[in-house]
Amino acid sequence: MLRVRLHGRGGQGIKTASQILGSAAFLAGHQAQDFPLYGAERRGAPIVAFARIDDAPILERGPIAIPDLLLIGDDTLLEDPQVAPACGADEWTTIFINTEQEALKLKDRLSLPGLPVVCSLGPLTRKHLGDPRILSVSLAAAGGRLSGRVSLDHLNEAIDIELGALGLDRQTLKKNQDLAAEVFAALSPAVFEERQEKPLVAGQLKVLEQQEVAQAAPLITATGNMQERKTGNWRVQHPVIDYGECNNCLICYARCPEGVIAADAEGKPVIDYDHCKGCLICAQECPRHAIRTLWERESHEQR
Amino acid sequence: MNNGKRRMLTGNKAAAWGARRAGIEYVPAFPITPQTEIVETLAQWFADGSLKGRFTNMDSEHSMFMAAGAAAATGVRVFTASSSQGILYGLESLYTVTGWRVPFVMVNVSRALATPITLEPDHNDVMSTRDCGLVQLHAETCQEVLDFVLMGYKIAEHSQVSLPVLVNMDGFVLSFSREPVLIPDEKEARQFLPSFEPAQPVFNATAPLARASAVFGGGTYMYFRIQQDLAARHAETVFNETAKEFGERFGRFYEPVERFQTDDADLVFVMSNSFATKGKAAVQKLRRQGIKAGLLKISLFRPFPAEAVASALMGREKVAVIDQNLSPGVGGITYPEIVTALYGRPGAPKKILSVIGGLGGKDIRENEFMTVVDKLNDPEEKGPVYLYDEKDWAQFQALAKIARAEKGGP
Amino acid sequence: MTLHSGEHKKIHDLHPEEAIAPGSALCAGCGGLEGIRLALKELGENVLIANAAGCFTLLSVFPFTPFKGSWLYTTMAAPVPAAQGVRDALDIRREAGRLAEEDDFQVMVVAGDGSSADMGLAPTSAAIHRHLDFLYFCYDNEAYGNTGFQLSGASPYGSATQTAPATAGHPAGAELGKKDLFEIWKAQNPPYIATVSPREPIDLSNKFARARGMKGARLFLCLSPCPTGWGFDPKETHTIAKLAVDTGIFPLKEYIDGQVVHTRVPKKRVPVENYLERQKRFRHLFEPTRQDEVIARIQQGVDSYWAHYE
Repeated sequence: MLRVRLHGRGGQGIKTASQILGSAAFLAGHQAQDFPLYGAERRGAPIVAFARIDDAPILERGPIAIPDLLLIGDDTLLEDPQVAPACGADEWTTIFINTEQEALKLKDRLSLPGLPVVCSLGPLTRKHLGDPRILSVSLAAAGGRLSGRVSLDHLNEAIDIELGALGLDRQTLKKNQDLAAEVFAALSPAVFEERQEKPLVAGQLKVLEQQEVAQAAPLITATGNMQERKTGNWRVQHPVIDYGECNNCLICYARCPEGVIAADAEGKPVIDYDHCKGCLICAQECPRHAIRTLWERESHEQR
Repeated sequence: MNNGKRRMLTGNKAAAWGARRAGIEYVPAFPITPQTEIVETLAQWFADGSLKGRFTNMDSEHSMFMAAGAAAATGVRVFTASSSQGILYGLESLYTVTGWRVPFVMVNVSRALATPITLEPDHNDVMSTRDCGLVQLHAETCQEVLDFVLMGYKIAEHSQVSLPVLVNMDGFVLSFSREPVLIPDEKEARQFLPSFEPAQPVFNATAPLARASAVFGGGTYMYFRIQQDLAARHAETVFNETAKEFGERFGRFYEPVERFQTDDADLVFVMSNSFATKGKAAVQKLRRQGIKAGLLKISLFRPFPAEAVASALMGREKVAVIDQNLSPGVGGITYPEIVTALYGRPGAPKKILSVIGGLGGKDIRENEFMTVVDKLNDPEEKGPVYLYDEKDWAQFQALAKIARAEKGGP
Repeated sequence: MTLHSGEHKKIHDLHPEEAIAPGSALCAGCGGLEGIRLALKELGENVLIANAAGCFTLLSVFPFTPFKGSWLYTTMAAPVPAAQGVRDALDIRREAGRLAEEDDFQVMVVAGDGSSADMGLAPTSAAIHRHLDFLYFCYDNEAYGNTGFQLSGASPYGSATQTAPATAGHPAGAELGKKDLFEIWKAQNPPYIATVSPREPIDLSNKFARARGMKGARLFLCLSPCPTGWGFDPKETHTIAKLAVDTGIFPLKEYIDGQVVHTRVPKKRVPVENYLERQKRFRHLFEPTRQDEVIARIQQGVDSYWAHYE
């Protein structure tokens, strides 16, 4: 069985990528299964989806802890401990990363179990679709090619089915298929060895004692601790205040739904990047256009 | 002890007196037959100053149970009551507030469920709350209704339970029947049940808290659910402690199950609620006919007292579980619970028969207990047995003819 | 936090303290979040929120809460009854001498438009009828947003939702109009009703400041632009919110002492299509063919509303 796990962000088409992959495998005559993991995640938040491909009936359900093929669509997730996209990958796992960074450097820096396959899907996606962020087709094409289980024809047919269902017109479908063809051509199938079956081993169960009701009921007596959750990793783009232009009108502060812009002692607005989700309302609303926006990667490089 | 006064009370009035003696402070209410007399009585007492606090007329049972839970979570002693369709309408709220682990007492006056709609009793309404985490006490007499309400608060508010308690009585048969009931002296009642001391934090501005926030990940959810199960299970111990203290103070002793001439019985009827009285009468008659019958009455239905049930039934030859409820496609709802309690035990009865009777207010006639004995002795009878006979069928046919406008109807 | 008194005139008058901590899983650019953020800045921390199932359920996820006050998650139909139970219990405790003055608080129901206009409406009506002393904040994103944007009683005519999609047979998408909750509430004559916009923080703050000191049911309807469901870039939340006011689609008003007063009257109303065309949920009115009739009917609805007051 080939177990595929896809990582990306809400809005990038990660779920659709898993469905294109699942459909393509199905069309190729394999047994297939695909599904997203829904949680509280929203647009911009890290999300994960899965696909399983086999020739025998698939007797597995639910999330994949140890993937055979790992497709990481967004390299800003790599060092996020909350996401840990490489978690569970071992020496049998083929890791694909959509990045401009070098494979060897990534392997060393992130202690990956093997050399990842790297490819920057952004420029190809931008060329065909005009927006570098949409990964539904490019990531599915990368996964399909690496899997060695589907042909370009199957992939194209799957794109017709899945994106057609979303209401895309013929012309846009064709652009997506051109993109798929280019990604397909840029990669070659990886080698997957069937994993050795491990015997089932019984674990120890925890026998719960009854606890005081204050602990046993869903009760939070801490206040305001939501801020321990950092939502800064939702950001795709990054607002930067140009203090040379800023006149401390605090419109940005008033308009920020997250309340993550506060005035400092001198009355200057300061952005809390740990929590800023990158909606960019502040940049849009600033009457003096004193807030610039950077792609998150550019801001990483500047830091 | 027993400084109270004895009065002729309906089951509904007994419930209201139980609540009054418990020193309740809050009643969110909604009327439904055959429960309405309870909230009418309490409304009168709040209006005339006999009770202090608030009586709030709610807009539905769904709203009512939510208000009950929210008030309990804010630190007052709450009572409410419902029945039948009202229980179903409020079921979402019941699941919600049991999960909050807040104590209050509610009375359910059992009435059959639609469809077809009827006002008369059976137990499908209370069985619908079976899995929602309420502690359940099922009453046979008007006195038990009052006593169980008082005991109910003690159990609900116990720090190791902290769950709502439901006291069940049969509509009409108990709710509107008057019989002598001893109303405990107020001072004695309050000594038994002092003021509400919440076992967990309640809403206060100086100590804010978030209650019942969403969870993600089954592990967190499962932790809270297991804790709910442990607390509900522990309620049996607390019931026994409470019953002991209650008995010593008031002279009326209760157990999770009542064994009525079971110890030497060859065959045992398992019953609950008011018809257990009829079952006991039948046992006495059968014994005079030379049949060694007995009756096991389930008083504590949740948590289910499996050990007590098993120890009462082990060594008995035949058991008939008489359910006044029906799970279509299964039969009686308590039947599998009794069977499970006995599974694999030495001396488990050779035959356990499921009997369905008394649905929608249908009587269980005394001869039918002999019919059940026959069925128990019939090796071919596997059950479920419906207590429905030729006379019932003839009566229905007469009605059906009218419904179809056929000639020859009565 | 100490509360301001008196009229807010400018941004700098907003209470500097945030009453909702960041970190929640609501969508980036959520208009409703901005609305409740501004409301709580004005109300302070002595507030218990009784929450209806909806998008805002995600505000508190165990073991986290963004609030300095209290939170009670209820069900979709019963946040108001929960508020009733809490308020009644506080009153009982106060009368029994078991509630210190500093332990009392305001109870505020927070519910989406689905809860408010559909299954939660009867309980809300009942609570207004009972003169329950509470605040009600409806974040109105004009559909069941948390489940992926399905038609609610508050979905406007001409919008596309997942359960009223625009098709050849149903070119308008939603063919039913939006329930007018303001008028429905008003029929019961509560002490205070207001519409508020996240784009108008001064107007919003002054309305909450006025309501704060009152007793009884005080109800707020906050039009909450929803980037995810309405289909626009999150940075445009306030652009959309402003257009809703400038087109006259969303009148800012309050109901007080039996009178409706408009607190912002657009001098010259912007044509509704400027508002519609920026949102994917109305795109079918412009592409592939322009549906002049539907657009005209929406414009007509707005014009006839204002004609009543002009």
